[in-house]
Amino acid sequence: MEILIPIVITLVGAATPILLAALGELVVEKAGVLNLGVEGMMLVGAIAGFAAQFYTGNPYFALLIGACAGAATSLIFGFLTLSLSANQTATGLALTIFGTGFSALAGAPFSARPIELMRPLFPAELATHPVWRVVFGYSAPVYFSFFMVFAIWYFLKKTRGGLILRAVGENDLSAHSIGYSVKGVRYAAVVFGGAMAGIAGACFPLLLTPQWAERMTAGRGWIAVALVVFASWKPFRLLAGAYLFGLVMTMELYAKAGGGPLSVIPSELWAALPYLATIIVLVLISIRRDASTNAPACLGKPFLPSN
Amino acid sequence: MPFRLEKRQEPSRFMVYATPVAAVLLTMIVGAIIFTLIGYNGIGAVREIFLTPLTNSYKWQDLGVKAAPLIIIGVGLSIAYRANVWNIGAEGQYVMGGLAGTWVALATYNMTGPWILPAMILAGVLGGALYAAIPAFFKVRFNVNEILTSLMLTYASVQLIYYLIRLPWKDPMGMGFPQTRLFAEAARLPTIIPGTIVHLGVPIAILVAVLAWFIMSRSVFGYQMKVVGAAPHAARYGGFSENKTIWLAMLVSGALAGLAGVLEVAGPFQRMVPGFPTNYGFTAIIVAFLGRLNPLGVIFAGIVMAITFVGGEVAQTTIGLPNAATGIFQAMVLFFLLAGDILVRYRIRRVQAAVGTA
Repeated sequence: MEILIPIVITLVGAATPILLAALGELVVEKAGVLNLGVEGMMLVGAIAGFAAQFYTGNPYFALLIGACAGAATSLIFGFLTLSLSANQTATGLALTIFGTGFSALAGAPFSARPIELMRPLFPAELATHPVWRVVFGYSAPVYFSFFMVFAIWYFLKKTRGGLILRAVGENDLSAHSIGYSVKGVRYAAVVFGGAMAGIAGACFPLLLTPQWAERMTAGRGWIAVALVVFASWKPFRLLAGAYLFGLVMTMELYAKAGGGPLSVIPSELWAALPYLATIIVLVLISIRRDASTNAPACLGKPFLPSN
Repeated sequence: MPFRLEKRQEPSRFMVYATPVAAVLLTMIVGAIIFTLIGYNGIGAVREIFLTPLTNSYKWQDLGVKAAPLIIIGVGLSIAYRANVWNIGAEGQYVMGGLAGTWVALATYNMTGPWILPAMILAGVLGGALYAAIPAFFKVRFNVNEILTSLMLTYASVQLIYYLIRLPWKDPMGMGFPQTRLFAEAARLPTIIPGTIVHLGVPIAILVAVLAWFIMSRSVFGYQMKVVGAAPHAARYGGFSENKTIWLAMLVSGALAGLAGVLEVAGPFQRMVPGFPTNYGFTAIIVAFLGRLNPLGVIFAGIVMAITFVGGEVAQTTIGLPNAATGIFQAMVLFFLLAGDILVRYRIRRVQAAVGTA
């Protein structure tokens, strides 16, 4: 029992950034936009959050800066795809290439300079008992990610704003003809997705490894994009999916730490496992039913009203 | 709004070719401004990255060697993207091509003969094509998004390199370094100009591009690729199978990425090392777009991107610009190009203030 507790805590740490980024992408895709630049926005958020924590030591400010940086990066994507109706796939790829280069350039002066990890949200007295640590032992982004699962579900399902957003994603021309601003809604969604990706990126230096490393998000942004498909655009399934991947990554960490039955398999295979698992999961989900049936009908298509 | 966009009857031929040039020029101007603002020598950076590789004739051989893999992979991707098949895992297929070639080189280490190099190249082409067959199969059979699968396989392929050179393929005399032994003479790509590093891969790249251009513009295969990509409904009506197109697009782009991989390992590297994946597969995505998905355009685009690679290294040593700056310049080229695409489809009209109220 005792041995499980550090495993749970590692698992939560691994799952949280993927969950946050995937939740943002879910809202973007519900509005009918496919932004493949999640990995790039996460990296910009990671370096911005790192730098803010380095200079101020205030992790909440660092998360805010991460969110702003991710949102600002997403505006490049928004402008190109929404205002200039550029190809979304290509623009998303360009955004990831840009974010990778930008974060590496901005992060170069910070290499080998550690920062302080974010502290747990609740006072340590609450988490003295091991079982309570599993409940109260995390920092704010973890609880925020749970809250956002519920909030996004509620917004999409129960509010007028959510209805409009889904209408824009399902049938942009109809939404336009009854007077909603397709572009406005999509801009808002894209910026929200950017902010969530930025927070997710900032979690890497603030929660996981308190140092700057180039490409430190290591493809997690792409796994987040895959998870949205896996969850068939449903927030609570996203939660389950993110923790499934967190589990795979936790096993990798334990296998690398050495010893135990996990280290029989070469460490490289463990490192490759999250990516292979993504493929397997995508295939399984497609075998079970036609995954595309639940996709927003306008996903990835530019909005071209014939005015 | 004083300006209005008006849809063109036909996409503008002029803009198709003018926008890539404008994108590169704009990148130079905006890049100089941005890098000055963040505290670097902006004009110097642009000069070193875009001009020095061209004016300094010592750098020309580097340009050829860097452009060759970009052109080979870019040609394959341009064919796939024409068919609306989004293979973005070329980096992984490049790695598998390199690994397959390495396997042949190591297996024939004590042999000699002119057949070894062709066997390696064949293995590399097959390796890349087979690796691309995985996303093709999943796409055709289960409708799984090829963008995600091909990209995930790239991450996995890099781990495969690490494993192979750490254990089974490790150089016994390598003093513990994770790398293979240096290939035997028969497994190395010959240089074609004595005294330079220009290897056989450079003419192969030009040949591949010209052949691909010929096939894409003159054959039924090329026509099928373009029709399925541009008008899938019409293509189905005309009897072109969408699944067959996905297979062909994936296998061709994978085979070419594999070819680039084996040429790279047999040429510049001559052994498998952890640093073998050099992002050629990702940069080739930009090359394909900058070349307007036209194999001949890809030759020019490959040279432009090779210039930024070589120039990035120059700027690193001469003005201390971090290597990552190259990536920013490359992404900016693509941003401006995608933004410019609107001028291909639309024209900008001035609207008289009195007329419009919108």
